[in-house]
Amino acid sequence: MKAMPTHATNWRDLRLVLRPFLAAQPRPLLLGCLLAAVTVLAGMALLGLSGWFITATALAGLHAATAFTFDVFMPSAGIRLLALGRTASRYGERLVTHDATFAVLAALRVRLFRGWAKAEAARELLMRPARLLFRLTADIDALESLYLRLLVPAAAALGAALLAGVVLGFMHVAMGLALMLWLVTVGWGIAFVVARRARRPAVQRAHAIEALRARAVDLVAGQTDLVMAGRIGAQRQALMNADMHLAKADLALNKLEAAAGFAYGSAGTLTLVGVLLAVGLLVGEGVIGAPAAALALLVALTATEPFAALRRGALDAGRTWLAVRRLAPRMSEESASTSTANEPDATLALQLKRVTVVHDGSRTPVLSDVTLTLNAGERVALIGASGAGKSTLLAAIAGEITPQSGSKSAQPACLLTQRTELFQDSLRDNLRLAAPNATDDQLHAVLHAAGLEDEVRALATGLDTRLGEGGLGLSGGQSRRLALARLLLRPVPLWLLDEPTEALDAATAHDVLQRLARHAGPRTLLIATHLRREAALADRLVCMRQGRIVADLRRGTEAFDAALRSLRPD
Amino acid sequence: MTKHSPSRSPLRAFASPDVGGVVQGAAALFWLPQAALLAMAVQGLASGRGFAAVIWPAGAILLLGLLRAGCEAWGARRTFTRARAQLTALREQTAAALAGSSPLDRSRAPSGLAASVLAEQAEALVPYLVRYQPARWRATVVPIFVLCAVAAFSWVAALVLLFAAPLIPVFMAIVGWRAKAASEAQMVEMGGMNAFLLDRLRGLATLRALDAVETTAQRLGDAAQSLRRRTMAVLRIAFLSSAVLELFSALGVAMVAAYVGFHLLGSLGFGTWGRTLSLGEGLFVLLLAPAFFEPLRELSAVWHDRAAGEAALEALDRLQRNDLPLPGANASLTRAATGVPGGAPAIAIHNLHFSWPGEQQEVFEGYELRIAAGEHIALMGPSGSGKTALLSILAGLVPATRGEISIGGVALTDHTVAALRQRMTWMGQAPHVFAGSVETNVALGRVGVDAPQVAEAMRFASLEAVTQAHPGVTLGEGGHGLSGGEAVRLALARVAVHPHADLLLVDEPTAHLDTETAERVADALVALARGKTLVVATHDPVLAARMDRAVNLGAEALEKAA
Repeated sequence: MKAMPTHATNWRDLRLVLRPFLAAQPRPLLLGCLLAAVTVLAGMALLGLSGWFITATALAGLHAATAFTFDVFMPSAGIRLLALGRTASRYGERLVTHDATFAVLAALRVRLFRGWAKAEAARELLMRPARLLFRLTADIDALESLYLRLLVPAAAALGAALLAGVVLGFMHVAMGLALMLWLVTVGWGIAFVVARRARRPAVQRAHAIEALRARAVDLVAGQTDLVMAGRIGAQRQALMNADMHLAKADLALNKLEAAAGFAYGSAGTLTLVGVLLAVGLLVGEGVIGAPAAALALLVALTATEPFAALRRGALDAGRTWLAVRRLAPRMSEESASTSTANEPDATLALQLKRVTVVHDGSRTPVLSDVTLTLNAGERVALIGASGAGKSTLLAAIAGEITPQSGSKSAQPACLLTQRTELFQDSLRDNLRLAAPNATDDQLHAVLHAAGLEDEVRALATGLDTRLGEGGLGLSGGQSRRLALARLLLRPVPLWLLDEPTEALDAATAHDVLQRLARHAGPRTLLIATHLRREAALADRLVCMRQGRIVADLRRGTEAFDAALRSLRPD
Repeated sequence: MTKHSPSRSPLRAFASPDVGGVVQGAAALFWLPQAALLAMAVQGLASGRGFAAVIWPAGAILLLGLLRAGCEAWGARRTFTRARAQLTALREQTAAALAGSSPLDRSRAPSGLAASVLAEQAEALVPYLVRYQPARWRATVVPIFVLCAVAAFSWVAALVLLFAAPLIPVFMAIVGWRAKAASEAQMVEMGGMNAFLLDRLRGLATLRALDAVETTAQRLGDAAQSLRRRTMAVLRIAFLSSAVLELFSALGVAMVAAYVGFHLLGSLGFGTWGRTLSLGEGLFVLLLAPAFFEPLRELSAVWHDRAAGEAALEALDRLQRNDLPLPGANASLTRAATGVPGGAPAIAIHNLHFSWPGEQQEVFEGYELRIAAGEHIALMGPSGSGKTALLSILAGLVPATRGEISIGGVALTDHTVAALRQRMTWMGQAPHVFAGSVETNVALGRVGVDAPQVAEAMRFASLEAVTQAHPGVTLGEGGHGLSGGEAVRLALARVAVHPHADLLLVDEPTAHLDTETAERVADALVALARGKTLVVATHDPVLAARMDRAVNLGAEALEKAA
């Protein structure tokens, strides 16, 4: 009873992942399988025809008369044609299958990206450790082998079984049918059994390698803490422990692989011996001649070879299955509808009423009963100790978090995240994320406003300069300025700034803040901060404590100045 | 050079093929008698002996086939077990080298790189040892046997094979191997698409804020498509090499078949040592032809295993390079002579010299400092003045170039450092968050730390709120789950859980914290350090004012520069 639903889920997951796989490129995928089959068939035919030719010529050569009339041209031309044909189809097969796989994986990545790019998912991702992001890449790679290693060889092997069956069927129908059935049953059967039994060690392997990776990170990045706690040796031990588990899974998989190799090898020999006995009988009864027997033997000899290629794919199937299980949830729906933000009337930039946010699985709310109204054009600083809920509030306003209760109406807003998020791309394309149609002149203008223009012009490749992963290659100050320039390109009336100058040195920070203030113009600003220099930009301080707003101070009051003074200086 | 050579030692054993490889290679030779039996059977059939002609050969072929499959499986198992053990040995060696280098070594690999080399890249070693090495051995041995067997019957057929075989490497070299390298580079770039996706996923909040999800999705698709076109352009040439191999092996078989056929027909009388081949002999020669090329095809299929395996070896080797050793990493732990713990230690630094490796500028030149037992001292000074360096030297995380340091009357040496560290606790600028629960992150698996102690330390650092915010969450690699304030509280709890330590070394505990949190951290530190020696490096004048004494490292450096 219990197995049924899991079985159904497996199939649903597989369909979800396979559908884009197959729907995107059905023809090349099919063509790849066909060419693989043709290659195998040409190889079989080449050897089979050669065997027939030799045997036939030997019999014909016994008598001068038959030797003279024997038609050598058709078979020898056929042999040459098959030799060339096999080469061509093999080449074509490799090109087509690789091209199709790349195309499918490209489509898959886009689909996954869209799957993740939903409101809640974005935040969830941010909370996720790098390990899980890394897992995603391993999963995508695992899917690659599904087509190249499993589907293509399976198709080629089927073709081989059919050809062998047909060729032998012409000599004797029952023999042909029996061979075909035997090949398909045994060839696919072994692959199926191996795939099933490889699942557990494959999953264990995937987990062990993740553990090994995490422990290696901990060993290097946490070395200081470990050395000081006297635990560095224990960590090394833990690392090698993960390797031990990995080795165990590896050995289990290798055992399966060796067993599968033995099974395929034995099956191949059994096929050959079976056909040998069968043709012996048939020749003895005079049903077929010796050349046909040679043909049948050589076809049988080559027919099991393509099945052995299934071995690798079957071993990988366990890992692929895991990848399918993990990726399916993100592929289930088409891209999410954009959140329908109701806009407040023109004089208000933001209106929050009794907003409460509780993270999944937690009992204490991160935001409780927050009510906040911002007039258009106001500059407001959100202050409070770390963990007071400032970032959560900004995320809720930006729509990254859906509150459990309460209502929100906000003008179109843009969030400048605490961590500068730049991308592995050219400077130009990093900026153009905010305005896809911006001209270079416009880009230079915003760079100028952000105080980065001279530095960009000084670069040899200017706007074409490529940044590394996460914007690597720029200093902290440069990154922040670039993020600022990007923000300036964004035509929205409400800016949500999360600690805009954190981790910058004082001089750079003051410069960035000045530019920010100058170019904000009539926009409404909401700044989450614990720094005096940032809060000084605001005319109103909203103080938070443990997820609640505890004070709302206006510039010019004693309390405002006191609150400002309590913040950290540079 | 000699320093790195040991890393290769686990592999030296592979220079000669082991028993597993030999058995695997020998198994391929079983085909020779099998082919002979098969040819005999057909000859028997052709001469009209009927079913009786096939019974004995069938039995023998079956036996040989099972034997061959068994040998192959046994050899594969053996080779794999051995190769896997080599991988474990190399990993152990690399992990030891990583653990034995100073965490302050600026030239060492970042943790992400180290992890991916040690975990994923190292995996490439096994296919290299398991597939490439035996395949290479087979490719040198098996064709020779086959060639000899063929030549025994027909030197022409042997010549045909001999002619085709050397041409394969020649043509493959012309079109193949360079293109193969290019294609491997292209495949790496293809893997870069994953990096592209990850890069964008990490910045998803910003992409959503900029309303750029759609454009990014399109760019992701476009980039993948253009890369695919470029990759295919390279592969079109790279695959030619395997096509050449196919072509020659197919033509080799075809030519042998044609020659034997025409010979049997009587049209080509030469090439067989002056006699005429029988059908069985001709068939035997034909059956051996594909077996001649098979090992070569196999070798070409595992060619990239070699490149990946050697790259992995090199990467592991690089990880083991060690410019700045961790003091005491290779010394046996001496428990003796660390002084009687009973009072907080005094610290004496005499004639300390230190410079970062590869840098001319000395951070310390004959530096002198005395810290009284139980004194609380702040190290001040601009960035680069050596605050962190001094703390690290005291903790034995980095070796001093020269000079004497004594802690509680015990000289800090390679032999005493491990024991001395037992009385220290360390709170760094950015505490590493380990993969695991908050509790394990506090205890760090230290011996003698029990659950109530951890709970007590967590209460002290008000970490319960953190556990509540992330219930059941495994904190992980990079610790994105913790805010700056939460991370500092975690570091405090780590100090608090070790109440017997009497020397506290603390680096910038209040940097980037809001005033309220900073004040709480300072309170906690002072409370923890009561009756103990405390050395804290800081920029924060508020925190420095709460210490007994402030030492300005920068001032001295300036004096020297003047």
